[in-house]
Amino acid sequence: MLIDHPLLGPRDAQEFVILGDASLIDRPDWQAGDAAQRFHDYQHLRDNPAGEHRELWFHEQGDRSWLVVTRNTLTHEVVKVELARDVAIARGRDR
Amino acid sequence: MAEFALAPRSTLGGYAETFGSVTLAEVTGLALVSAAVPNGGDDAFAAALAEGLGAARPATGDSVAGDRYGARLLGMQPDQIFILFEEPDPNRAAETVADALGPDAYVTDQSDSWAMLRIAGAGVRAALERICMLDLDDAAFPEGRVARTVMEHLAVIVLRDGADSFLLMSPRSSARSFLHAVAVSVENTAG
Repeated sequence: MLIDHPLLGPRDAQEFVILGDASLIDRPDWQAGDAAQRFHDYQHLRDNPAGEHRELWFHEQGDRSWLVVTRNTLTHEVVKVELARDVAIARGRDR
Repeated sequence: MAEFALAPRSTLGGYAETFGSVTLAEVTGLALVSAAVPNGGDDAFAAALAEGLGAARPATGDSVAGDRYGARLLGMQPDQIFILFEEPDPNRAAETVADALGPDAYVTDQSDSWAMLRIAGAGVRAALERICMLDLDDAAFPEGRVARTVMEHLAVIVLRDGADSFLLMSPRSSARSFLHAVAVSVENTAG
């Protein structure tokens, strides 16, 4: 499997490690009144789609960037690759 | 008290060997220092590189030459570059770069962490293609390109420093295994 890195071009999947669902970017506010419930959901509740899935991948044997990879779990086709930093900033985070 | 005079010894003992059209040799005498960008300090970082090393900031995957210390700046990752340069006193590598760049870069000496090998000659790509996953074709990896990858499960930084020449850097602790992997591949492909 090749991952088309937005900065470096296509690189072999062996250079990457996967963390999991891209929803891990949206860490809950620990000061919220219902923080315990939100962290429970954040840590344990995942969608497991048969089809397109957004995942966090780390380019460990490369430029050490975190990526959001949109991948089809049925065909292994890599549909879209973004820098996780850009995704987080677009969602209102400061970095 | 006994007086000892310890002679410095390079990681691979000055290894050099020629197989057909390809030469494989350890590179010594170069210092390697990383410089990281403080959060939000991109403009000051670029200005410090221009002022201290006479170089532009390389994009990730690219390298540029500076006009001081024979430096080459390698774009390793979005917020970090490596600086490869000639340092007469190996104990002062980080200080030299810190003095040149000032407070706008976080500097760490990497010199002793990486063993360096240069592989060069007409058959160089044939030798590397068996163990390197990168596309080293002229179109995808022209002179000056740099990448971090794995060969034989060992981390490597690959810099193309000539038409038929590549500088390979691999962690010192596994450098002999790395040398073995590369040498076997060269031996198998040398015509």
